[in-house]
Amino acid sequence: MTERQRVGIAEISIARAPGLLVAYGLGSCLGIALYDYQQNLGGLAHTLLPAPHGKEVVARKAKFVATAIESMVQDLCGLGAGSERLTAKIVGGANMFEPLQPAVRDGIGSRNIMAAREALAEMQIPLVAEDVGGNFGRTMEFDLDTGQVRVRTIRGGTRLTIL
Amino acid sequence: MAFGNLTEDQLDALKEISNIGMGHAATALSQMIGDTVLLRVPKVTVTEIAEVPDFLGGAENLVVGVTLKVLGDARGRILLIFPTDSARRLISGLLAQPEESGDLSDLGISTLKEVGNILASAYLNALGSLLHLTLIPSIPLLAHDMAGAVVDSVLIELSEVGDLALMVETEFHGRGPRAAAVKGHFFLLPDPSSLELILDVVGGKA
Repeated sequence: MTERQRVGIAEISIARAPGLLVAYGLGSCLGIALYDYQQNLGGLAHTLLPAPHGKEVVARKAKFVATAIESMVQDLCGLGAGSERLTAKIVGGANMFEPLQPAVRDGIGSRNIMAAREALAEMQIPLVAEDVGGNFGRTMEFDLDTGQVRVRTIRGGTRLTIL
Repeated sequence: MAFGNLTEDQLDALKEISNIGMGHAATALSQMIGDTVLLRVPKVTVTEIAEVPDFLGGAENLVVGVTLKVLGDARGRILLIFPTDSARRLISGLLAQPEESGDLSDLGISTLKEVGNILASAYLNALGSLLHLTLIPSIPLLAHDMAGAVVDSVLIELSEVGDLALMVETEFHGRGPRAAAVKGHFFLLPDPSSLELILDVVGGKA
């Protein structure tokens, strides 16, 4: 039986095959999976916000997209992953409620997605798949055996998407 | 004001004013559905934002969330969560026609938003006149989805200023065979700066 490990809001988990990392009920939050296919080693972050304000000291790196990616890359490389082999998949970043003041600024969900794309590009980690945006929640399951990410949605009937 | 530093007295003061506010909201709801609505004494808890979905039966549980912003002298959020079957019963009761399974109908959605509006207004009115503050609800927004996804959008704003949320939480349910199963959770999530203001007025300051 594969071990299933839950990754809560503002948490990062690192695991090796055989293992499953799961982020339940992502709304505007963004799930970021990084994977080294040679080592079958990967990490999953359940992030809330794009980036900290100004130069605030970040106690919880997993809370922010930018700091979570940095911290995961460090941890993974520390465990023997090759940074040149890492690939990324992102899931979530929805806008669950229609915005109160449309057009004032993008919702948090969209800003989380943008922040992840930028941070990954900067660190030269290829973003190989994504299932993001929309106005519905998602559960993300990251299989360390294969690097496969399964996305489950339940609004309007249960659906499963494989990334 | 850090949520983690609240004293027992301050928590009691918050519980008491919420009790009164929720009482008004429950009266409004019972008049709407024409049946008694029972209310649990509010729980006031300071909790890690990350743990809030667990209070709602797990992050994947399908729920209906109605949220309003609190504007005026104090700011924050109100969040109402109904389990899906309770939401359907509430709609059926109010519209006197059955609500089909599957996605909520447009009429059902606007009915629930209106319920949210009435509950929030009753609560804020009571709170405002008690504290001599002007508190205005924004228009209600609704989402019908996984509990985790519904609450994370609401909590994200709070999380910009800290990792803890102050939750004033109550549960209401009907009495008798018909209304037995309308259950819901009512959360008041004040901004940290507004909490300070509320405590100031209520005299619970340490």
